[in-house]
Amino acid sequence: MSALKRVQQWATFARIWHIYDATWQNPFKSAEVVKKFLMGLYKPIYHPLNDCGDHVIIINSGEIALPGDEWKKRVYFHHTGYPGGASWTLAWELHTKDPTMILKKAIYNSMDGNLQRRHTMQRLHIFPDANVPKSLLDNVSNQIRQLRPVPTRLDRYTAEEVASYPKLIDYPKDYIIR
Amino acid sequence: MNITKRIVQNYIGKTIFNNETRRISIFPILNVKEIHEVQEGNQLIIYGQEKASPREPYLLKNNQTEKCPVCASGLNIKHTDVLILSQFVRLDGCMLPRRITGLCGKQQKRISTLVSMAQKAGLMPNLTPAWSKKDPKKRIV
Repeated sequence: MSALKRVQQWATFARIWHIYDATWQNPFKSAEVVKKFLMGLYKPIYHPLNDCGDHVIIINSGEIALPGDEWKKRVYFHHTGYPGGASWTLAWELHTKDPTMILKKAIYNSMDGNLQRRHTMQRLHIFPDANVPKSLLDNVSNQIRQLRPVPTRLDRYTAEEVASYPKLIDYPKDYIIR
Repeated sequence: MNITKRIVQNYIGKTIFNNETRRISIFPILNVKEIHEVQEGNQLIIYGQEKASPREPYLLKNNQTEKCPVCASGLNIKHTDVLILSQFVRLDGCMLPRRITGLCGKQQKRISTLVSMAQKAGLMPNLTPAWSKKDPKKRIV
């Protein structure tokens, strides 16, 4: 086996580490994207019995954006197993308790319920903010593209940029600036 | 009695309520743009200063004068376009009325909705009414 082929063999079966910034992203659509990398679905060597999934680090999971009024309407059900042990938690309540939970459940539920699912979830590392241990961050070699761009806040622009941006309307002649 | 009443009504009514005789129109004629208040000792000086609009050099040309500025621009404005939305907002963060923006009713409604969406999303924290909760995370659902 030549040196090139040997390295190619290593690269093919090595676990790649991806990073994904969840700021302003829909967790349920992000789950479909992240799932592909976690399970290794994008690889030509993919097979359900072939353990070829990658690691994914998700940062800023506390900054996710739910569509519409899902913060109020989405309910997470849990049952302890005892009589009267059912509980229903709204999405915003769950998010205040644990900012990683909504994203974790979204990814868990996007995958088929088989024996591999728990092991695949072990390769997922979610952090509520951008503080990631350096030991994990050193492995990262790829960034997953965000589904939508994060908009810039008005106070992040300089005053010069705001003033010189093309204007649609002008003040009337008798307008008093207040 | 009737005659005196009519005379009084005519005379007083004309002098007080007739707009032609009462030529009070403060701002359009004086052309005031900005009001300054200067405190010098125990003397308060209030004066109006005419100012050229800071938007003049950056104004887009409206070629279709029958349309409102937003309709004529043909832009699909979203709530994330804060550089555009901030043009329709007063310095205290309130929406400008239609007689000042000069938009059609449809666009005025749309822009004011987008402005409140941007403010609720925390995208315009420096141009938001003082009573509103600027950080969406601190807003209890």
